[in-house]
Amino acid sequence: MTQAPNSVVTDEMRAMVGVEGPPMTLEVEKTNCRMFARSVGHKDPIYYDEAAAKARGYRSIVAPPGFMGTPIFNPTAPPQGPAGGGRGYSIPYKRVLNGGTDYEYFPENGTICAGDTITARGKISGFEETEGSLGPMLITTRETTYTNQDGKVVAKMYGTTIQY
Amino acid sequence: MAEAFEITDEMRSQIGIDSEPWIYEVTTTSVRMYARGIGSEDPIHYDVDFAKSQGFRSIVAPMGYIGTPVYLPGSNDATFGFPRRGGGPRLNIPFRGLLDGGTETEYLDYICAGDVLEETSHLADLKLRDSGRQMLFVTNESVYKNKETGKVVVKQRLTSIHM
Amino acid sequence: MADQVHYEDVKEGDEIPELKKNCSTQQLVLWAAGSGDFYQIHYDKDFAQRTGLKGLIVHGALKNAFLGQLLHDWIGEQGELRRFGCSYRGMDVPDQDILCRGVVTKKYAKDGKNYVELDIWTENPEGKKTSPGTAIVTLPSRN
Repeated sequence: MTQAPNSVVTDEMRAMVGVEGPPMTLEVEKTNCRMFARSVGHKDPIYYDEAAAKARGYRSIVAPPGFMGTPIFNPTAPPQGPAGGGRGYSIPYKRVLNGGTDYEYFPENGTICAGDTITARGKISGFEETEGSLGPMLITTRETTYTNQDGKVVAKMYGTTIQY
Repeated sequence: MAEAFEITDEMRSQIGIDSEPWIYEVTTTSVRMYARGIGSEDPIHYDVDFAKSQGFRSIVAPMGYIGTPVYLPGSNDATFGFPRRGGGPRLNIPFRGLLDGGTETEYLDYICAGDVLEETSHLADLKLRDSGRQMLFVTNESVYKNKETGKVVVKQRLTSIHM
Repeated sequence: MADQVHYEDVKEGDEIPELKKNCSTQQLVLWAAGSGDFYQIHYDKDFAQRTGLKGLIVHGALKNAFLGQLLHDWIGEQGELRRFGCSYRGMDVPDQDILCRGVVTKKYAKDGKNYVELDIWTENPEGKKTSPGTAIVTLPSRN
């Protein structure tokens, strides 16, 4: 593929596609599952009540849809999120939009529950450049893989960032 | 208000009656979030390995953090999060304004992530002041026990001002 | 929870029960705590206006999570949420209805599971789809 004359995607950026960033650890606990569920407005007791979750066959309180745990926060370390390779490049566009998020679950590998420790690994899946109503745009797609403490992939997230 | 508020004998009779117990949980993420909330950067509240190297079971709850009440929709107050359990006082307070009047906390032991606390509370005092506007001071006392050891770890006195 | 929905009960074009939300600013603060996203455009009106917005806006990720609830409540205890997501096309504001909706687009059996695909979205009071997306779930069979 030849680079368009006004492309902002550099060879350096292209080389980052598919390269995994450093892993990030996420903790799933009863308090943060409940807080997430409460903030969405979930009613199902499997997100709040451990006994109810166990009665439905889960190990503990279930992580609600979209909740993968809380990154371990360390105030004295450099920010680690968002999990994703390919940080540290710059492009001339100033504005950024969150284009969207998709979650894929693999329940046969386990449902994310309180007590789990999840490792997130992110990478850039691709860059795409288009001309939209807002002018030229760079669309970056990222993929994050979530692995539980048993080494099983339990979820993936596909995210889109729009810069223009 | 048309009529002045008065503390009735019925209200006073509720002083000292213990509520049903409620579980408060202390987790690593909840300890870190509270520590962020107070602006602490002490690794004892963030880094499990560091806390263990200092002789603690896990990261230590910052002073003032006594766990998060188990939240069950319909059983907890949607704004303040506290449990609406049975057994405690039921005061019919007509004032709309609510202020935090103060907190006194007595520690008998420290609290770490992983601890599960069982809390009971009772109404300890009611006072009415009037300086042009009526203010009702409601004081509650809570006792937090470590559920595993049965040991009392914290006693707390909270005053809310209704006006 | 509603009665369990089964694979045989649904056909392409069916709309699933909608979920109506209306975010108070308090809910946006709850979401900040629940998600760990403390960006000020969602709770500090002055900050939001300084960035060029008219006022506070609802988090895109919260609308995504609302769609997660829409699906979870529909598939019942025996359904599995396999995939869901949306793109953020329009802003929603506090104290205004956000209607979460979904329509079945496809159903098929594969590897012993009964899959149902849906278009899902959030809609503002003008009927504009502010967060359109898709989902894949599995449902139990009556057989």
